[in-house]
Amino acid sequence: MMMSLKDRLLERDRRMAELGRYEEKLELKERDPIRFELLYSKMVESVTSAHEVARRVSASPMSRELGEIIFGLYTPEGDAVALSRGLLIHVKTMSRMIKWMIENGYEDDPGFAEGDHYFNNDPYIGGAHCPDQMIVTPIWWEGELVGWAGGLTHTPETGGSEPGGFIPFARSRFDEGLFLPCVKVAENDKIKRDLEVLVERGIRSPIYWLTDNRAKITGSQIIREDVKGLIGQFGVDYFAKACREYIEDTRLAAEQRIRKVLPPGTYREVSWRGSMMPGDETLLHGPVAMTVTREGRLNFDYEGMSPAGRHPFQGTLPTIEGLVMNVVIQNLFYDLKHNEGVLLNIGLNVPKGSAGNPSSIFYPTALWGITYGAGLASGQAISRAYYAKGYREEVHATSALSSAYTAGGLDQYGRPFGAHNFEFAAAGLFATAVMDGLDTAGVEFNPEGEMGDAEIWEQMLPPVYLSREIHVDGGGYGKYRGGNGVMSLYLVSGTKDIDIGAFGAAPIYSAPGLMGGYPAGALYMWVGSRTNMHRLIAEGRPIPSGEGEDPAHPDFVEMVEARWELIPGANRSAQPAREGDLFTAMTGDGGGFGDPIERDPELILRDLENQVTTHWTARHVYCVAIDPETMEVDVAATEQLRRKQREERRSVGMPAQQYKARERETILRGDLAKPTARMFHAVLGSSEAFRRAFLEFWGLPESWEMTDPDRDDEEVE
Amino acid sequence: MPEYPDELIRDLLRDGLSSEELEGLQRQDKDEDRFEQVLRLEQERLEWPERILLCLQAHLYVVEKDDGSKVVRCDCGQEFGDYQRNWKESALVFERAGADADAIYRGPRVADPDWSILREFYCPGCATQLDVEVVPRGYPFIFNVELDLGAVELRRQ
Ligand SMILES: [Zn+2]
Repeated sequence: MMMSLKDRLLERDRRMAELGRYEEKLELKERDPIRFELLYSKMVESVTSAHEVARRVSASPMSRELGEIIFGLYTPEGDAVALSRGLLIHVKTMSRMIKWMIENGYEDDPGFAEGDHYFNNDPYIGGAHCPDQMIVTPIWWEGELVGWAGGLTHTPETGGSEPGGFIPFARSRFDEGLFLPCVKVAENDKIKRDLEVLVERGIRSPIYWLTDNRAKITGSQIIREDVKGLIGQFGVDYFAKACREYIEDTRLAAEQRIRKVLPPGTYREVSWRGSMMPGDETLLHGPVAMTVTREGRLNFDYEGMSPAGRHPFQGTLPTIEGLVMNVVIQNLFYDLKHNEGVLLNIGLNVPKGSAGNPSSIFYPTALWGITYGAGLASGQAISRAYYAKGYREEVHATSALSSAYTAGGLDQYGRPFGAHNFEFAAAGLFATAVMDGLDTAGVEFNPEGEMGDAEIWEQMLPPVYLSREIHVDGGGYGKYRGGNGVMSLYLVSGTKDIDIGAFGAAPIYSAPGLMGGYPAGALYMWVGSRTNMHRLIAEGRPIPSGEGEDPAHPDFVEMVEARWELIPGANRSAQPAREGDLFTAMTGDGGGFGDPIERDPELILRDLENQVTTHWTARHVYCVAIDPETMEVDVAATEQLRRKQREERRSVGMPAQQYKARERETILRGDLAKPTARMFHAVLGSSEAFRRAFLEFWGLPESWEMTDPDRDDEEVE
Repeated sequence: MPEYPDELIRDLLRDGLSSEELEGLQRQDKDEDRFEQVLRLEQERLEWPERILLCLQAHLYVVEKDDGSKVVRCDCGQEFGDYQRNWKESALVFERAGADADAIYRGPRVADPDWSILREFYCPGCATQLDVEVVPRGYPFIFNVELDLGAVELRRQ
């Protein structure tokens, strides 16, 4: 009798624990390496063609233009064997979905028949939030389930309490939209009509979700049929053993890679996000301690992460898992076979109940902010280790904290709509230890993502672009500066019924720098309502084309009469807008590397010529004297400015011990702002390890306890 | 023999690589002996009599002194104490918020100090900015790199 999938999954886990390996011997590889690699290249070819074809089937710009889509081939137990390019962060999520169905008895009921297609967008099973939607299908060969094919897309609308899938003030999961946790959406390769009706009537812009489903089912069928062809050619036993060997091959290569390029030790970074829930504004703590062991293992420990709460800035365990896989693939294992093997030498500790592993599915994950932050910080930790080993060409600061606008209502064609703009797939990249960050380049969750043409967004959403420009001086300052993202200015047009919102973060510095480099600045959004735009246009007067040189006095505010509102952090609940209103959105910028006063003046000249920095910044931050008329660097004056800057640092810099003594008093007085104090109070109460480290650092007695910053408020009530 | 000529790696350390050379380095398999080569070239450049054990981060090194102690040292010569202790404990510290933040971030790009401030660490010797932490007030110094130097040494033999 054939083993059940559930038993096979248990057996897989038992073997892994016992052997420390996925497959005992690489017999097929050793016997005939060319045949072995040939089959793998055919698999990659298949998932790649599924990816390319599916993009053309979908009507969603997210899949079609931006490439927010990925396909994979999985073992019967749900381990990834081969992956397409694309939305790399989700390499692990379909794997989690398959394992969840096996563990929850789906093999018996509702069963896995040939032609069945299962859908999931429940992030507690697999995924990051409601918009991450995956479909998997079993692959059968002569009565045996031999693997799975699947695809994942990010849809721009989910039917949530606000439009656009990213719900900036979700209080619970039930604000996020329509969840279909592991639901069979097709039988005999035919999509179930009743489920399409559910989507048609359940969300604002069903066309994206529905055509994405067709795209994923098409792609999965391509992979399924290709695999059957390959099994016919190579034999089913060869295929099954080869799948396991590909994973072990990667695991082994990953272990050797870690031993070769990362010095043993512990590397720590901290990331931040914040919940902006009115009346309960709370900073969120996302630390990571990465340990490289002598044996070539990598352990990522997120001990001290803030507890989960009623805000959308937390993520699920599969999210962190996917982020770590994404980060190690891009930073360490970029040239290996991208499959489950990259994770098998990696340990994760994400405390239960934390914002990276909430104890109840009640908690919303619409923006999964702190898990994203902690995931990126894990990449920083790898950079520190690379530096210590001398591989400076691999060292980089942090990439952008993403942000965009959302909208819903009736579109310019009079149809109900809801969507978000996703041009932040072309944010500013991090600076590296050897060069500036690339402008408008990408994001870490999808290294190949694109921003989409302006016209595509104008077709999908009623607002039109007044400008889409490089965010001047957006990237963190440094010897090498962070990449600048995009800043866009939009005009509301063509609709009488529209809400405009945005998802962003708390007003924190957005992307940390490295080794003396500054972070990118805080995110922000401007909204101008009741403008005189139509009069300006009718009278042929100048209209703004961007922020201009001084973000403290942006051109659009100077040029257009309106009720201007600034939203620090750019997290805004969707609110009605009217014809002629203006608003901005920014994609985020990368962190800088190294001391800014070590920046080569020639690089600053180049940036000035390209109009991506200003004379103000050249002078005040980089301490470079450039004549604005002749555009020549005054070398002597520059040296003088930089010397003065060092003197200034000596005068304002306080010896660390003296600084600590002063700050200790601040803590004892309880003199911390609410968002900060709430964070400390929550983390000190939830993490014993953090509490010990905190007490030790500040020299506080064991008996010290932090006062609840909200206690006074309660007494008043 | 190192896999790459000293000239190329020297250029990497001194920011002198062309983008083609840089891409070449990134595309190739990592060279086994980079660690030794970088230490040797840095040792030559700094002309310190004591052995450099490791490059910790921009400007900072772990050096073995005559008495056997292993300390963090800036390339200007300033020492920060035992490598097992966070070097930031011996640096100059400056909290950048309020008007000081406005001096380099303009308008809404300054974070709200109730949420986020900058903590800059300078070398007391040369006043180089060695690190900028993004933290809330009251957060302990981040101990970024805590090495298992014994294991690093083992692998060198
Ligand atoms: Zn120094």
